[in-house]
Amino acid sequence: MTNIIVIIVIIAILAGASAKIFSEKKKGAKCVGCPYSQVSNSSGCSCDSPKS
Amino acid sequence: MKLALTGNPNSGKTTLFNAITGKIEKVGNWAGVTIDKKEADIKKSLNTTEGRIIAIDLPGAYSMSPFTSEESITRDFIKNENPDVIINIVDATNISRSLFFTTQLLELGIPMVVALNKSDLNKKKKTIINLEALSKELGCPVVETTSTEVTNNGLELLISKVLETKGTSQIPPFSSKNVDLKDKKSVEASDKERFVLVNKIVKSVENRRVSSNKQTKQDAADRILAHKWLGIPIFIMIMWMVFSISQTYVGPLVADVFVSLIDGFYVFVEGLLGNDVSPVLSSLLLDGIIGGVGAVVGFLPLIMVLFFLLALLEDCGYMARVAVVMDRFFKRVGLSGKSIIPMVIGTGCAIPGIMSTRTIKNERQRRTTAMLTPFMPCGAKLPVIALFAGVFFNDAAWVGTTMYFLAILIIIIGALIVVTITGERNARSYFIMELPEYKFPSLKRAAMSMFSRAKAFIIKASTIILLCNAVIQIMQSFDWKFQVVAEGAQNSSILASIASPFAIILIPLGFGAWQLAAAAITGFIAKENVVGTLAVVYSITNFIDTEELTLVAGGSDVASIMGLTSAAALAYLVFNLFTPPCFAAIGAMNAEMENKVWLWSGIGFQLGMGYVAAFLTYQIGTLLTTKAVGTGFIPGFIAVVIMIGFVIFLMKKGDRKAKKKLAYSS
Repeated sequence: MTNIIVIIVIIAILAGASAKIFSEKKKGAKCVGCPYSQVSNSSGCSCDSPKS
Repeated sequence: MKLALTGNPNSGKTTLFNAITGKIEKVGNWAGVTIDKKEADIKKSLNTTEGRIIAIDLPGAYSMSPFTSEESITRDFIKNENPDVIINIVDATNISRSLFFTTQLLELGIPMVVALNKSDLNKKKKTIINLEALSKELGCPVVETTSTEVTNNGLELLISKVLETKGTSQIPPFSSKNVDLKDKKSVEASDKERFVLVNKIVKSVENRRVSSNKQTKQDAADRILAHKWLGIPIFIMIMWMVFSISQTYVGPLVADVFVSLIDGFYVFVEGLLGNDVSPVLSSLLLDGIIGGVGAVVGFLPLIMVLFFLLALLEDCGYMARVAVVMDRFFKRVGLSGKSIIPMVIGTGCAIPGIMSTRTIKNERQRRTTAMLTPFMPCGAKLPVIALFAGVFFNDAAWVGTTMYFLAILIIIIGALIVVTITGERNARSYFIMELPEYKFPSLKRAAMSMFSRAKAFIIKASTIILLCNAVIQIMQSFDWKFQVVAEGAQNSSILASIASPFAIILIPLGFGAWQLAAAAITGFIAKENVVGTLAVVYSITNFIDTEELTLVAGGSDVASIMGLTSAAALAYLVFNLFTPPCFAAIGAMNAEMENKVWLWSGIGFQLGMGYVAAFLTYQIGTLLTTKAVGTGFIPGFIAVVIMIGFVIFLMKKGDRKAKKKLAYSS
């Protein structure tokens, strides 16, 4: 029983981390966690913007 | 309603944008920080209308005739996107330079308000600008602003003037409608006339106490800090101090509290699990997830202190002086003076550094800079530096400082190689950089920069690094038959079998263990992974000693577990810092280089450079400490000679190309 709980906890942690990466990628961020990835620009951070 | 924010570089556009929108876009006390347009709604407290007011922050421009790609963004936006109002941000300390662009903007027929920014600096210098007269001369409202201030910053008045101006027409003080833009002489004559008008306006509205041709304290400071010889030792000393404070004194002190929390959490979970849980699951959760992530996160306080200090240096205007000092060396090896800016940005993260190379007009210089920028140690590499400085060199600040200057040396060598191979050795470049005024750095801005980096670091640690460490732990716990590997028999694990072939190549560099090879490979996903993987494969929970406030718990114990000599440890550090960057940064290189040959040559060059630098570090270090060469010297030497020989062959070929070019041109 304890093993099952631990497995569930580990899966939840890994799923949470994966979900965060996918949501950041979906928003257009190339670099997950980039301090400028979620401000003001619809296309993500300045480093993610398409080249003009 | 669309509101375009334009002005000369370093006039404070992004600071004003942040102040009116509440955003936290990157600002810097030098020209060229913004390379793309950014937009956001202005704060509700400033918007007295029912509708939306969208502010668009544009890259700095000196004129409507663009010279760089970011200036084109500004010109194209203003001409094609029809903003309702333009806020022209003018540096109040230097209106003679700014008004050239202002008069060009006024010709476009778009309602405009001039924000006379940095007015606080004028007050300090006792320079008075007659706002009414300036407004009359330009034919548009002029408002004094200080966007760095929270109150009495003039922003409310600015926005109210913007709303009043919307839909009105203004008469420009100068018109170039009859100028034939295809005729160079006619354009030059028009520009001269415009300068005459600007000077006339400045003379009539500005009352300066300190004449601009008088030597000031700032000039005196520049004569020392940006001196061609003194500038370098001063830069070395400042960087050494930054590393001492962040990694020897303040950093570990803050880390103490932090690591205690991580340790406490580890012990708490360990207690919860007890003895009933399968050892595989227990070690996956404790060593792989908590231990691996904790080992990386433990370095967070050190990195925060370092970023805080670097932000202070940037904000006070010193980093712009470093660019001037380094320009002398860079232009000799065919790089643009502008190449320094991406490299300084790259000390935070290589990706925005590489992206900012787009401000470089010359294609070869832009691609070379994109290739060489990742050599600068970025924030992700700092835990690796801190770990090795702590374990093998007693927290010595010289390790970090040396890595920065080694990076500069490698960049100079790399640039020389590229410029010779491409046959453009005779090409000359000129760099004009506007030096920002020295100012007392904003603690608030430095703190904001530090916290945004810290947040990024935690997000990265709890996503990519966590997943990588979990995968590494699983690969280390099982063999290819998915049988659990017995304690002490990790050599038969999946991870060991994958990493071992790579480890053989690394023997001449002094670190032929599969664990170290595995850590170096995971570093390509994110450089912080090197620390996380080392923690997982060597089962080290955390590297920071909370009792003695030193970086590494029992440094000599960790060193003996890794089985590395000091020379090999330094070589391992060099290898991790100077081989290709993480995949995301390689993606950025691909986007900026726009050429597969350049991209793959760049990656090959980075691999070769990292290998050669690590080989030389290990073998010379071993020779100096033991009077004998290290293991794997002969195969390593052959590999290095082949690599260097190939580069020399390409350089000779490039030299011939350059000579031919010169012969044709003469």
